[in-house]
Amino acid sequence: MLSRLCSAIAVTAALLLAGSARADLSESLKQGTPDLKSIGPLGFGPDGVLFVGDPQGAAIFAIDTGDRTPSPAGPFKVPNVNEKIAATLGTEANDILINDLAVNPGTGNAFLSVSRGKGPSALPALVKVTNKGSVEAMKLNDVKFAKAMLNNLATGERQKQDAITHLAYVKGTVYVAGLSNEQFSSTLRAIPFPFSDKATATGIEIFHGAHGRLETNSPIRTFVPFEIKGETNILAAYTCTPLVRIPVAELKAGQRIKGTTIAELGNMNRPLDMIVYNKDGKDYILMANSARGVMKVSTEKAESVEPITKHIPGGGKAGLTYETIANLKGVMQLDLLDKEHALLLVKAEGGALNLESIALP
Amino acid sequence: MQRVLILGASGVSAFLVLGLIAACSRERGVQEAAPIVCGEPPRIEIRVTPLSDDGTSVRFEVLGIPYEIVREMIISGAGKGQRGAAWFQLFVEGNTTPVQGTYEVGESFSFEPCFPLRRGVTYTARFGRPDGKGEDPGQVCTKQFVIPRRMPATRPAVAVMYPTIDDLPENQLKFYLHFSAPMSRGEAYEHIHLRESSGREVEHPFLELDQELWDPSGKRFTLFIDPGRIKRGVKPREEIGPSLEAGKSYTLEIDAGWHDAEGNPLKEAFKKSFRVGPPIDEVVDVKAWKVRSPTAGSRMPLTVTFPRPLDHGMLERVLTVTTLDHQTVAGTIAISEKETVWQFTPHEAWKAGACELVIDTELEDLAGNNIAKPFEVDVFHPVQREVKTKTVTLPFTVK
Repeated sequence: MLSRLCSAIAVTAALLLAGSARADLSESLKQGTPDLKSIGPLGFGPDGVLFVGDPQGAAIFAIDTGDRTPSPAGPFKVPNVNEKIAATLGTEANDILINDLAVNPGTGNAFLSVSRGKGPSALPALVKVTNKGSVEAMKLNDVKFAKAMLNNLATGERQKQDAITHLAYVKGTVYVAGLSNEQFSSTLRAIPFPFSDKATATGIEIFHGAHGRLETNSPIRTFVPFEIKGETNILAAYTCTPLVRIPVAELKAGQRIKGTTIAELGNMNRPLDMIVYNKDGKDYILMANSARGVMKVSTEKAESVEPITKHIPGGGKAGLTYETIANLKGVMQLDLLDKEHALLLVKAEGGALNLESIALP
Repeated sequence: MQRVLILGASGVSAFLVLGLIAACSRERGVQEAAPIVCGEPPRIEIRVTPLSDDGTSVRFEVLGIPYEIVREMIISGAGKGQRGAAWFQLFVEGNTTPVQGTYEVGESFSFEPCFPLRRGVTYTARFGRPDGKGEDPGQVCTKQFVIPRRMPATRPAVAVMYPTIDDLPENQLKFYLHFSAPMSRGEAYEHIHLRESSGREVEHPFLELDQELWDPSGKRFTLFIDPGRIKRGVKPREEIGPSLEAGKSYTLEIDAGWHDAEGNPLKEAFKKSFRVGPPIDEVVDVKAWKVRSPTAGSRMPLTVTFPRPLDHGMLERVLTVTTLDHQTVAGTIAISEKETVWQFTPHEAWKAGACELVIDTELEDLAGNNIAKPFEVDVFHPVQREVKTKTVTLPFTVK
């Protein structure tokens, strides 16, 4: 009896300690209405906090989704999700753009960033989809949020505007990749979170040697945080599919750094999205591509592989090895659903978009 | 007598309220949609009231609802703003997912969609018992309606494409397409074609970005050549060949299927032909620019001439004129002569004295070389100097 009581006290104390050690990430957010001008890339942090890229507003928002209740276990299969979302938003499927997909790791619910309309005055919508097929536009007024500006562009800056290609939250920092509509270059911004009142990101230029002897400052298409020996790295994918490793410890404001090309996964291709997962004790990357299907890339040698510094002729491959998952076609977006499943946004024949889960390969 | 929506009020007073609503709508200058009337007395009416000047933000009001139903809706378990959701739905034609919005049950029953409605789309509004039981014609109302599309006075078109020069370098990096109207996103690359002089289309010549690179007005589109397809050294990067090769001629074609933001296709296709010459691998050298100073007391333009065309988008943005005490001179910019001449006309007459042209070192030429560095750095022969400052200046004197 005594031992049981002691155990109970110990567990309670441990829970209290755990609770005091890490504050809920949403506590730094303030009630109000985020002035989203557009909605693009998404990335979840802990505690239901969603980081939202606003390319037109040149800002990153942290929004408390209030999504805390895990969805009942079960497969995710929502056919024609684009039509359901469009109807929910009061329009037709040809009048929306689905920009990104993120799964709340705390609940397994899917969140999609959607443009309602296609012109410059398109309205931003954040849509929650559950594995039961319910579709709901999240309330974006009177919510807890914080905002960080990406730059200090004055209104007199005429037509310049940044596109945000990807963002992710890792250990207190939001990493944002993007490029300008006037300069071909790669800017990776590291924004500490919670955002300070004057949080402004500073760009870091990344060069890599994917074009043989020439180093190019190319835009990152998509990236994923990846741990190598306890150190956080960014694995960034570029057009024509070089995979480049960038240790975040080297990311210093206003500096140019050189990434290490660790894989050439083939030319004539655009990487669309990728996730890292663990299976049978080994880490893999699952990468969706525009022309080369879904790749399962082994990361076993991500640290030790010989950096690629020479031209790879014939659109060849080098560095980390991969296999193409033959039965996955038309995958446009993906995210980790749980430890064993991924959630995919798939473009089916005929143009319908389906949300469906798969067992991680 | 069956009581209606206004709690404790008679049907007569309810219709008085209706009249007031109509009067208020007229006062705001908003064209009011005709009420939709269904069934026999006691009638349930669905009224659509425009909330915005363009008529796409609307409120639906259901009038003539029997008191028993109102009471049922009020005590229903639905959360705030969703009471009555089971009774009234708005659908986009052909879809069974209801439009999301906010409901209000009280002195009146209303529904406001979360987003404005879309012109040209057919909507069906339906009021009726959620379980479909016990419905009589007086308690069900279903009606279709459309907010008419507005036809544009003129169809959209490609107004101009930069660079305007007819001879481009082999490592040409980007094009700017200027449209006469805001355009739709998400379909750009379907409508852009690069053809050799034989008519053969070059495969995947462009950097395709899902986000697409538009300016805030949606009228300027930036098109990058895929850098993996830009020829380097003596051999192209890939055996499939570069997008552009010296000695050849090409046509950039925009087909008429590209839609503007309202869904209207272009008036006509756009074509621009050009020849391709040797690559440019040099940084932009401001020392080679010719500056013609204006005269004091006049508003004649400051004229700067470049030895080769520079990036049109950046020329509009990254050059500023300042006085020696760093006061920015306000004025307008004009770019001409195939992007080799930049002119600045001040809003007020020039004052005599020393001035500076301040140039951001990110200013690029057609191949992406800027003042600070060439587009690509040759790791084996890093011979070119690099400018480390953010800006460089060219002094000139107003006499």
